Amino acid sequence: MDKQGRDLAETVWTRLDRKAGAIIELTVRQLRHRLSTWVVLGVGIMLMALLLIFYVDSVRESFEPIDNDGDSVDEDGDGYPRGQEEKYGTSDYFWNGASEYPGSSAYVPESYIDANDQVRTIYENKSWEGAAFFEATWIDYNYSGEQWDSHINWRPDDNGEPQLTDCSDWDLDRVLNRISWGEACDMGDGDEDGRNTYYAAGKWRGEGTNTVLEGGFLQWGYWTEEFYVAPDPKEMYINEDGIDCIDLDGQIGDCPSEDRLSGSHGFDDDGDCLAAAERGEFVDENGNGILCDVIWRTSNGVVIGITADYNVDEDLDEQEYTGELGHRMFVIAVGKMAFVILLGLFIPLFLSLGLVRDETENGTLHLLLSKPINRSEFIAYRLMGYLAVSGTYVIALALLVGIVASVLGPGDSIIRLSDLPVWLGIGIATTLVLAAYGSLFNTLGLISPKYGVYICILFGIWEFTMGSFSIVNPNWTVSSVSVSHWALQMIDAVVLMAWPDTIQWSAIDEAFGIYSGLSFFWQPPVHTLGTQSAAVSLLISTVVLLLFTFSFVFVGKSVFNRREIM
Amino acid sequence: MTIAEQKPPAVLIDQASKWYGQVIGINEVSLAIDGGVTGILGPNGAGKSTLFKMMMGRIKPNQGSVRLFGVDPWTNTSPYRRVGYVSESEKLYEWMTALDFVTTLARLHGMTREEATDRSKHVLEFVGLTDVMHKELGKYSKGMRQRVKIAHALVHDPDLIVLDEPLHGCDPIARTSIMSVIRELGRQGKTVLVSSHILEEIERITEQIVILHNGRLLAIGNLHAIRDMLDKHPHRILINCEDPRSMAGLFVSQDPVFGVRFPSEGQLEIQTNDLSAAHSLLPSIVVSSNQKITSIENPDDNLESLLGYLIREAS
Amino acid sequence: MEVAFGAGDGDDEATAIVARSEASLGTIFEQSYRPWRGELGPRWMRNYAIYRHHVYGVFTGKGHRQYHPMVRLMILVIFLGSLTPIPMLFLSSLFGDDGGFFDKMWGINRYNLWGQVLGYFPRNLCMWPLLTAIVVGGMISDDRQHGTSAIYFSRPVSRLDYTAMKYASVAVILGFVIVFSYFAYYTSAIVFKGEGWAYLSDTLPMFLSGILAGVILVITYTSIGLALSSISQSRFFAAIGFLSIIYGTKIVSQLVEWTFETTFLYVISPYDCLAHLGQLLLGLPLNYEHPVSFSIVSLIAMNGISIWILVSRVSSLEVTRE
Repeated sequence: MDKQGRDLAETVWTRLDRKAGAIIELTVRQLRHRLSTWVVLGVGIMLMALLLIFYVDSVRESFEPIDNDGDSVDEDGDGYPRGQEEKYGTSDYFWNGASEYPGSSAYVPESYIDANDQVRTIYENKSWEGAAFFEATWIDYNYSGEQWDSHINWRPDDNGEPQLTDCSDWDLDRVLNRISWGEACDMGDGDEDGRNTYYAAGKWRGEGTNTVLEGGFLQWGYWTEEFYVAPDPKEMYINEDGIDCIDLDGQIGDCPSEDRLSGSHGFDDDGDCLAAAERGEFVDENGNGILCDVIWRTSNGVVIGITADYNVDEDLDEQEYTGELGHRMFVIAVGKMAFVILLGLFIPLFLSLGLVRDETENGTLHLLLSKPINRSEFIAYRLMGYLAVSGTYVIALALLVGIVASVLGPGDSIIRLSDLPVWLGIGIATTLVLAAYGSLFNTLGLISPKYGVYICILFGIWEFTMGSFSIVNPNWTVSSVSVSHWALQMIDAVVLMAWPDTIQWSAIDEAFGIYSGLSFFWQPPVHTLGTQSAAVSLLISTVVLLLFTFSFVFVGKSVFNRREIM
Repeated sequence: MTIAEQKPPAVLIDQASKWYGQVIGINEVSLAIDGGVTGILGPNGAGKSTLFKMMMGRIKPNQGSVRLFGVDPWTNTSPYRRVGYVSESEKLYEWMTALDFVTTLARLHGMTREEATDRSKHVLEFVGLTDVMHKELGKYSKGMRQRVKIAHALVHDPDLIVLDEPLHGCDPIARTSIMSVIRELGRQGKTVLVSSHILEEIERITEQIVILHNGRLLAIGNLHAIRDMLDKHPHRILINCEDPRSMAGLFVSQDPVFGVRFPSEGQLEIQTNDLSAAHSLLPSIVVSSNQKITSIENPDDNLESLLGYLIREAS
Repeated sequence: MEVAFGAGDGDDEATAIVARSEASLGTIFEQSYRPWRGELGPRWMRNYAIYRHHVYGVFTGKGHRQYHPMVRLMILVIFLGSLTPIPMLFLSSLFGDDGGFFDKMWGINRYNLWGQVLGYFPRNLCMWPLLTAIVVGGMISDDRQHGTSAIYFSRPVSRLDYTAMKYASVAVILGFVIVFSYFAYYTSAIVFKGEGWAYLSDTLPMFLSGILAGVILVITYTSIGLALSSISQSRFFAAIGFLSIIYGTKIVSQLVEWTFETTFLYVISPYDCLAHLGQLLLGLPLNYEHPVSFSIVSLIAMNGISIWILVSRVSSLEVTRE
């Protein structure tokens, strides 16, 4: 018994929460009696249903194998898919590709005379390319190519004699100036040995003596024999080069390898990189001295970066990766954009601005304030009532969407249990946003019943913009001057805690050309105080949001305490 | 009993003033009220509501102090445990039933839900709304709404009840029932403050009045006592009879009577400086006149004329 | 107003109420009303009065519909914001930077003409929706809240006139900011650069398509905004409702595009439909995958539904405070 003769069970504390209960209940019932509440909450449910419909649709079709490296096409139409052509080093591109195909005859250069060589005369039976005075023993009039290949057209007549411009009495300058690339002219048989001399510029084949002018260039070589290669089906070049990891025993296995996380991994299953290596092309883009490999970098037992050489592990099995990536991206994107930015911003705008202001305007505030209840308590309980409605709604909606998506999502088990903490985190982050905006809007409504509305709208646009920027680049300092930034950081942190391998997935997404958008929507949390710990970031973001909420409750309280109510 | 131990009065207003910019709402009002029904009287804009809002901690006096049971209501909500307030605002939660409404507000006093429901049923019965207490407030008539407002103010059994225009806009039947409720509260020994600008209402409820005009306290005390203090003003007695002129002849010769008038046909108005002497003369004159008297009225002994005098005095 | 409603108050002639006799118990007044037989002002004049009442209110609060000073300030800021290319053009002509950075960013070309009306940031993210929301918010909802619709409907003004004039007022204010700033931008570009007739005839079709796009934007935003205003009880809900429709549909369809790689859902976003149609009108490459006809149909549907809601709501509007 205290000194007023009340039971201890009847102290101020029990009375306090009875009052709290009454005001919270009143607020909930008031919100329930407003049409706009139902419209807003209904629209939220419709929005989630819409997103789920799209998700179901994408689950149904997007696991079809995708040719990530685009080598299953046959652009030049020679019957060989690009992947096969790349292995043989032939071109699949439209302009000159049709004449190049696996097994087609190829030009092998042998030697050349360049500007600095002393000996400038050569006798051979070769395919030539360059500019020279050619004293011909034999000319292959059929050595031809496309017009822009600059093969010389000898224009032989019926007797097999070339019909060319006569340039025997031209001076040298005139010859060099008049005869352009891909042409030849007849110099006549000056030494009368029966072999005519031509000035030739371009490509030709024949036997004879070539004299290269000072400063000129000529190379020669031969054409390989053509052989038959069976064309591969295009399907062979879809998902033909999956991600490979090499364990301690040197065996290729699952990724990431359990006993050997970091280091050189990867195997060029389809051989396009190895073929390029054989041809002597540069195939060490990641610069570790090992050709055609993939470097996996780790930190604290988590893969944090992957750099692959070009064309290694570049066409992976979608069934294995895109499903998971797409699912995570769906969860994160919906959590950030639909929950935090959309619901988080618009629910408070509709529901919280009038929490105290409407009571003042309606004149029903007198009823409540004539009871032994402190004005600050009143604000706090009103906000709690609003949170009881909106927070419950948001968390329930998040879990509902989460359960549906985790049943639909990829994976062996019926339900992806590891999703649920993420959805719960999304729900809680959104609730904190609701609290922060709720207290802010409520306070603005109190500070200025007239202007508050406009300030709220301006603030909403600011938050909307900063939220969008925060998704794209969470490191941008200006965006951290917004509530949505911290809630988005919370989601980033929760994602990393529930799915620690998200960094790795994000690295895989970028390194192997999947581009699912995961790395667009998710980046590791920023505010970790240098610890790189998701938990620290989560804690900091939560504290910031709560501080924001409480400080505006406090501002609202002190404004309201001094407000004279007419 | 030392002063410190003395029970503070329910309402103590000390030199309180409240102004809104250039407009003075309350001008140095000092008032102590404890026990019984008190009518706060004044024309529109006299400052009655401002006074009540100041008492209820809605607004802060610019000068002076307000105490409810010795506590400043602006900074402390504890006196509201013992106060019931019916504001002038007409708005209620239209979607609630009366029982719901009163129960919800009762719970703000820290009652449990059951306690609150019991108490609410009790007070709703007291104000006579038991049979409609499950109807939504939106469907209530004005008189019923006023009674619901009174019910919520009574639900925690307060010692002080402040009623701001409780009879405003009610029809005569509602008015009568609300008045009887107020009188009953007075009989139960509560301190009741009722404001009104309609004078006969207050007259029917109480004799203890406070008169406000332009934010100033004009008078305080018993209605008749105040009237007596204004003796320098002539009193009038109005008699309805068959032949006023012959009756007038009988009166003019008497000492306390200094004038007669005939305001309309069949009416005689006697002007006097000493009302009680005039009244003691009345029966004998009436008998001697041998006329049929239909009514005798004291038109001045009501609040309207009182206020009229006081306002003239003040200005 | 006097002329518009065609009514004098009649004080200059016979008194309307005459006391007939004075009785001791009471007074009975003889009721004699003098019917008004004047000429009713033409319909357009009455309508113009409504229109003027709203539009002039932007400039002066006296005698016209009061726009909150904050609202007026915001309209001014948005208007000035939409004129930013003009000082840039001026600078560009001052420095003689022809074909340089300024010219590329602010000079007249298809992209910039499109962007002046339909660019997302900042115009359609921060400026036009906010402008519409604050202008349109209270147009009809205020009348519902304060019962002032009675002021209109107790006069010879039909509900159609009322709706049409509210619509015209909003459209003109929006049009002033959106289309006029576009017009000013184009003209000042020509003036600053000292361009001749040839340039004018080259760019005029582009410019006119841009105007058309702007007008469609104004019409669509007005329709949606007024429909919301007619179903709301407070200006605030109409404003927030409008913003949530514009931003909500945009962000949802963007989310769907980013996640599921389909632009189809953009048909629910008024802004994107307008942007899509604008790209077609100005001859820009379309950056939506779905056919532009979807966007056009969607725009027609949005306008149709909004106007239907508006008309049916106004025709059942109570002539009292609701």
